[in-house]
Amino acid sequence: MKDIASGLFQVPWSDYRPDLLDALWRTVSYTAVSFVGAVALGLAVALLRLSRAWPARAVAAVYTEVFKNVPLLAIIFLTYFGLASAGLRLDVFTAGCLSLVVFYAAYLSEIFRSAISGVHAGQTEAGEALGLGRTGIFSHIVLPQALRQALPGTNTMLVDLLKSTSLLVTVSAAELMSEGRLITSATFRALEVYLVISAIYFALCYPLSQLLLLLERKVRAGVPLSPWRRRRMRAARALLASDLVVDADRKEATV
Amino acid sequence: MTEPVTTTKTPAPVAPEAVVRIDGLSKSFDGRLVLDDVRLEVGRGRIVSVIGQSGGGKTTLMRCVNLLERPDKGTVEVAGEVVHQGGRTACRDLARLRRTVGMVFQRFHLFPHLTAVENVVLAQRKAGIPEQEALERAVALLRRVKVAHRALAHPDQLSGGEQQRVAIARALALKPEVLLFDEPTSSLDPEATREVLSVMRELAADGMTMLLVTHELPFAREVADHVVFVDGGRIVEEGRPEDVLDSPAQARTREFLASYGTAS
Repeated sequence: MKDIASGLFQVPWSDYRPDLLDALWRTVSYTAVSFVGAVALGLAVALLRLSRAWPARAVAAVYTEVFKNVPLLAIIFLTYFGLASAGLRLDVFTAGCLSLVVFYAAYLSEIFRSAISGVHAGQTEAGEALGLGRTGIFSHIVLPQALRQALPGTNTMLVDLLKSTSLLVTVSAAELMSEGRLITSATFRALEVYLVISAIYFALCYPLSQLLLLLERKVRAGVPLSPWRRRRMRAARALLASDLVVDADRKEATV
Repeated sequence: MTEPVTTTKTPAPVAPEAVVRIDGLSKSFDGRLVLDDVRLEVGRGRIVSVIGQSGGGKTTLMRCVNLLERPDKGTVEVAGEVVHQGGRTACRDLARLRRTVGMVFQRFHLFPHLTAVENVVLAQRKAGIPEQEALERAVALLRRVKVAHRALAHPDQLSGGEQQRVAIARALALKPEVLLFDEPTSSLDPEATREVLSVMRELAADGMTMLLVTHELPFAREVADHVVFVDGGRIVEEGRPEDVLDSPAQARTREFLASYGTAS
């Protein structure tokens, strides 16, 4: 067993550690920046698709359909090589992030649109009846409920986006996959190198998806996540101390 | 449509000050007339109950008070201010109007992402009430509707009766001048109905002004000062509960009450 392992692993990995860490950092940066951008653009497109003005709906629909039906690799080439040939030369980080943003925003806009339109109309009415304005209703009533609905799909997209950063190898984006290619060309140990690179992706994606599942569970259970909500619940608990004792006693008596 | 017959057997005493005054109100949906020349007044401290068959225009009438529906014709006046007239909204501050008019829905419409106490706090905070004051008021209101022990639960963890009581607390949070109840017990089982009616009875005893759409005719008889029977978008008959519910003058009212088994 030890012989097989020593036969398989011959690359001097410690020499490549700084480069791998740098590549790992770039992969995480591409993922974080692109995800934030894709969420913002996806939400904007979803709102346009739900707009009362038909031109806005049409623009958003065309955007979504175009970017959902063009391969990500083609978008990367168009952004990096295509725009450069038209005179707009973007650095590789900007081009890479832009490609991921426009591609994933199309998918996220569909998730957000369905989540927003899934919020019961009665919720908006209840907000109106309480004197809340349109912004207040959207930010305090519709959006929090829509985000809860959209969380599973959005989380899947985040993990998918992280894995898709590997396509940026085609424009030498210096992320993990590009680093893998460099090490391979220096050592000619393709199996070993790509096994290690795959293991690093797995070590990133698996805990991330488990963490997101935990977040989904917490949100579904209504656990207050923001500090100000936690503070409010603490204050409410203090005010309600005597009432909650009564409830606990009641439950105990039932048991 | 036939000429409306509005019969007031024994005129209800006119309240000194009307919190809600509706006059000549009409409303259509897709060319279908839902309300036709309706006149209604709710005096301060009074409880007016609107009864009638489903689809008769009761709920639309109520929703015209806080302008969740905009009437096509007529005047709506709330707390002395004309808020809608001749098909146009005259009220410049819709948020203020809606804070003056609390509303309780048939299906509660609590915000599921917030706990019961947060449901009662939200509108207060948006109205500029400081956090601690809003929380204290919310807790006091939840105690008043006897659901404070469940204040930290989310709506899906509450029974129907508890949810509707939280909804009442939420509607009371901005100290409205009038409360609108849109069939508040229609989605509830008998036990929960009793709980909610008991809270409403206490509000009535405290002098809360209420406009109540209900199928709970015994409750309407017990708490209402004035009962209005709406059918086909028009007020067919109105008057004191004992007059309208026990000895109605109109054949249509008798027919409706007979279907509920309450006509004497």
